[in-house]
Amino acid sequence: MYSCEEPRWGWGRCAPNPILFLSLLSVAPFGLLGEETRQVSLEVIPNQMGPPQNLLHIRAVGTNSTLHYVWSSLGPPAVLLVATNTPNSALTVNWSRLLSPEPDGGLMILPKDSIQFSSALVFTRLFEFDSINTSDAAAKPPGKSYPPYSLADFSWNNITDSLDPATLSATFRGHPNHDPTGAFANGSLAFRVQAFSRSGRPAQPPRLLHTMDTCQLEVALVGASPRGNRSLFGLEVATLGQGPDCPSMQEQHSINDEYTPAIFQLDQLLWGSFPSGFVQWRPVAFSQKQGSRESALPCQVSPLFPTLVYLLPQSPIVRAFFGAQNNCCAFNLTFGDSTGPGYWDQHYLSWSMLLGVGTPPVDALSPLVLGIMAVALGAPGLMLLAGGLFLLLGPKRYSEYQSIN
Amino acid sequence: MEEEEEEARGLLSSGPHEAGSDAPATPGALPALCDPSRLAHRLLVLLLMCLLGFGSYFCYDNPAALQTQVKRDMQVNTTKFMLLYAWYSWPNVVLCFLGGFLIDRVFGIRWGTIIFSCFVCIGQVIFALGGIFNAFWLMEFGRFVFGIGGESLAVAQNTYAVSWFKGKELNLVFGLQLSMARIGSTVNMNLMGWLYSKVEASLGSAGHTTLGITLLIGGITCILSLICALALAYLDQRAERILHKEQGRTGEVIKLTDVKDFSLPLWLIFVICVCYYVAVFPFIGLGKVFFIEKFGFSSQAASAINSVVYVISAPMSPIFGLLVDKTGKNIIWVLCAVVTTLASHILLAFTLWNPWIAMTLLGLSYSLLACALWPMVAFVVPEHQLGTAYGFMQSIQNLGLAIVSILAGMILDTRGYLFLELFFIACVSLSLLAVVLLYLVNRAQGGNLNYSARQREEMKLSHSE
Repeated sequence: MYSCEEPRWGWGRCAPNPILFLSLLSVAPFGLLGEETRQVSLEVIPNQMGPPQNLLHIRAVGTNSTLHYVWSSLGPPAVLLVATNTPNSALTVNWSRLLSPEPDGGLMILPKDSIQFSSALVFTRLFEFDSINTSDAAAKPPGKSYPPYSLADFSWNNITDSLDPATLSATFRGHPNHDPTGAFANGSLAFRVQAFSRSGRPAQPPRLLHTMDTCQLEVALVGASPRGNRSLFGLEVATLGQGPDCPSMQEQHSINDEYTPAIFQLDQLLWGSFPSGFVQWRPVAFSQKQGSRESALPCQVSPLFPTLVYLLPQSPIVRAFFGAQNNCCAFNLTFGDSTGPGYWDQHYLSWSMLLGVGTPPVDALSPLVLGIMAVALGAPGLMLLAGGLFLLLGPKRYSEYQSIN
Repeated sequence: MEEEEEEARGLLSSGPHEAGSDAPATPGALPALCDPSRLAHRLLVLLLMCLLGFGSYFCYDNPAALQTQVKRDMQVNTTKFMLLYAWYSWPNVVLCFLGGFLIDRVFGIRWGTIIFSCFVCIGQVIFALGGIFNAFWLMEFGRFVFGIGGESLAVAQNTYAVSWFKGKELNLVFGLQLSMARIGSTVNMNLMGWLYSKVEASLGSAGHTTLGITLLIGGITCILSLICALALAYLDQRAERILHKEQGRTGEVIKLTDVKDFSLPLWLIFVICVCYYVAVFPFIGLGKVFFIEKFGFSSQAASAINSVVYVISAPMSPIFGLLVDKTGKNIIWVLCAVVTTLASHILLAFTLWNPWIAMTLLGLSYSLLACALWPMVAFVVPEHQLGTAYGFMQSIQNLGLAIVSILAGMILDTRGYLFLELFFIACVSLSLLAVVLLYLVNRAQGGNLNYSARQREEMKLSHSE
């Protein structure tokens, strides 16, 4: 695992390389192979064979490359990231094979030799455990855990209903198929996916900088009844790629918290060598919709651990694209701690991450910050200079005391 | 009631000695510790004077030491949390003018001290009760009452010092009192978090009750100070009887109409003062959580580093005082202090360097500024207006602190620490601008602010001739 805890000068970049530095200089980061504009589109792939299935295809086409994001809630919610070096690559789906017990080859990006990078994330389980009410941070791990919800056993709404081509977004909203306690009677777990036609930031914290090369996921747990008075929730995420190696987890410390007040850290998951994919998120979740600082919960991440595919709920689209694999890597996210705000306040929890291929976007100091610094340091300096010149060159005046002497 | 009895007993016990010797200088008639004319007795009084201010300085920064706990247990955001500091400052915008008057004309030094100590105690108790009853408005009210007592108690403390030590060890005494105040703040920063966890352990859970009880225990220091006030009142009265010593007076004459006569350099000194202090005290109020969140410090380490400014100030104040006295050139020293503070805030804002560096710089510059800035007022104001000028300076300083405390909380909640630090940088830079202007104005007017110590000596001689 690669992490850098060491505080260092400036923007806290770990392992700086020239490409990262370039993107730090320019506010609009370069995409894969230096694409500056992309045509981003969003479509639901219809299932001609039977009942509608949730398969969302986001395609970002540049002049000589294409990025594909395929989201699906067949099985547990999952996403495929595929980068190709041609603007003409396409997604083909063989529904009968994809829906069969052996979905290998049911979903492909063609031509196959144009694929530069591919990887997948699967959101496998939602954890819930009780926290012990103590302000002692050392009193970890958290209390007893309840049986986790397997997201493969959720039923999801039809995403066509929530598809919004204007904002390039769609929401997968689900609840457990089998819910004996009625915990999700008034609640749901939602995965809101959004792509972007230009770079910028959302209005809601954590306000991660997005580009046309990226795609944002917001996970929101709303209205579900917790099983304990002070329940904490967690999410298990599995990653698969072309090779057997786990991606590396990186913690970046920066001086800049202007977009996410009081959060100085950015967590990243990076796959191998360039061009590669990345996942980045601020280690913060929110217990209220407006995402203010009072409702901020810490978000802890476990180290990546290798595991066996068959131990986790399987995603047909991942199996279809990558074929049968034995090994994958997983990590757990935990939202909140026993102290401070929590899900119990308003039965609301949201957390966002950014997913992309190429160079991860890097926050630069905003013009406002630079402007304030320039004025704050420039004004006294100029005054000193002007005054000094005036005293040196201006009319000589002797003080009365000197004249007496 | 009890105090009166005690006093009566005191009178009886010392009665026979006095009857035999009405002159104060009767060596051996009283043991050294009980003889007001002896050094040993004055040292006892000094100890009481130092402890007199301990309680209020200890409790002033209680919110800073318990920021996380206050915000969590009372469910308030940073803006509301900082109101606890603002409410302390509001009464002092007015009381800086009135404190001296109340001591001299209304209460007298003894009763004045006791009454202000009572305000401090009652304020702290109300503050704690606000925690126990989970009523944040009550906590704010408590801080308001605490503020009424706090600053005026400092004036009373100085008055006592002048009355007992004038012409003897006065500067040393002022220095020691200041050091004691800093020790109070430091102990608070490092003790309250630990105390909270102990109370939490014994109650079994964290919450507003735990907070209230912790604050109530912290209030014991105020009771201690009140006892010192009572003891001092008794000893002062006794000394008056034995030595025919006059009751201490602040001698402050406040005439608000003097304000129109204030010169440009004096106004610039006010600007320097306000803009400088608002970038120090509200920062310390918010500092603990800043060090935890930005630099990943543990709660204890954050408390320790947040108290560095006070720790440095305790020994360095007398040293810098001596340095400025020996060299003069006050504006240059103020300039150095402000530039160093600016550098320190820039380090905190734009680097992830260990904050011990920045905080040490801040501590040094804070001590230096206090030594160089406050005496400058005396150079630009005629002596009869000195009381008004100092009162005015403290008053607008408190006004600035009240407003900036609220602003700082709001900025932190909405824009984060980087902007908060930028705001402090802007304040210090305004202060720097005022220093530069002051230097230029002083140069242009041929003022005496930046004379070296030798020039001052010569000036004094030429005036006396």
